[in-house]
Amino acid sequence: MTPIRTAILAAVTSAALAAPVGAAVSERVKITGEVIDTWCYLSEIMYAQGTAHHQCAIWCAAGGIPVGILADDGQVYMVLKFEADETSVANPAVLKIQSNRVSVAGDLFKRDGINYLLVNQVVDNEGIVNPTHDEYGIQPFGE
Amino acid sequence: MRNSIALAIFAAVLSVSAPVRAAQSWGLPGEEIVRFDAKVVDVLCELTGNCSANCGGGKRQLGLLKDDGTLILPIKNRIPFAGAVEELIDFCARRVTADGLMVTNRGYTIFALQFVRAAPNGKWRGATRFQSKWAARNGVAADSATAKQWFRNDPRVKALISRQGRLGLGPAADREFLGE
Repeated sequence: MTPIRTAILAAVTSAALAAPVGAAVSERVKITGEVIDTWCYLSEIMYAQGTAHHQCAIWCAAGGIPVGILADDGQVYMVLKFEADETSVANPAVLKIQSNRVSVAGDLFKRDGINYLLVNQVVDNEGIVNPTHDEYGIQPFGE
Repeated sequence: MRNSIALAIFAAVLSVSAPVRAAQSWGLPGEEIVRFDAKVVDVLCELTGNCSANCGGGKRQLGLLKDDGTLILPIKNRIPFAGAVEELIDFCARRVTADGLMVTNRGYTIFALQFVRAAPNGKWRGATRFQSKWAARNGVAADSATAKQWFRNDPRVKALISRQGRLGLGPAADREFLGE
């Protein structure tokens, strides 16, 4: 085997060992939507959008439930990375923007029906612009 | 007939009084009680190959990788408003038997972990470790009222709510809405 072929074989082998089996292909995306608590929204255990659910969204994010972005197209994106920080459990920067409407640029991985988003950059943050408390009160306890 | 009724009552009593190590319904739409074996993985690592020691040490979301390659996302445990990472981190890269609810709504399937054990025959744990770990971090007893209401007593949460308000619109908006 020539040195070049040996080097190529070694590179291919090492890459195959580094990547977990089933590693997905990503897609560069820009997503706009509301930062949400994925459990309350996807379980439908309560109304889980906007100001009515802001306090609960902070509780759930602090408790380590994955934070998501509910995009304008109705899709939910689980946030696995937030800018330079790979913390996706109770990330303080993500806690601060619960219920905010944001536009983000990132890398999207789809696996077994779930959208996983690696946020590379927050492009825009409009703040909290979804006033739902007049209709739904404060979820879940009313105070 | 009378025997059938007695048998039904006995079965019902037994189901209530038997040690509970099986998932219970939470009455959620789209829920299904399930039990399966899987390997605990760091989701970011699984998807991207960007791996860290000990599955991220509790800072990264964890997944359950089944033998057929399906990646299940556990996002809830049995403690109010808490996720599954604290329950699974001890099992990083190991096989477990997971018991809980598969919940399918809005086109997505997620998993709520209620019990877990090392596969195939480890001792069952209730998915409640979040509370005791939170209590230890915050210097209170694990079974205290403070720990049970961790979400109201967490220093990070309290600081954030005091600044942003419960509605996220500032404390003045809370006072106006709640008539405080």
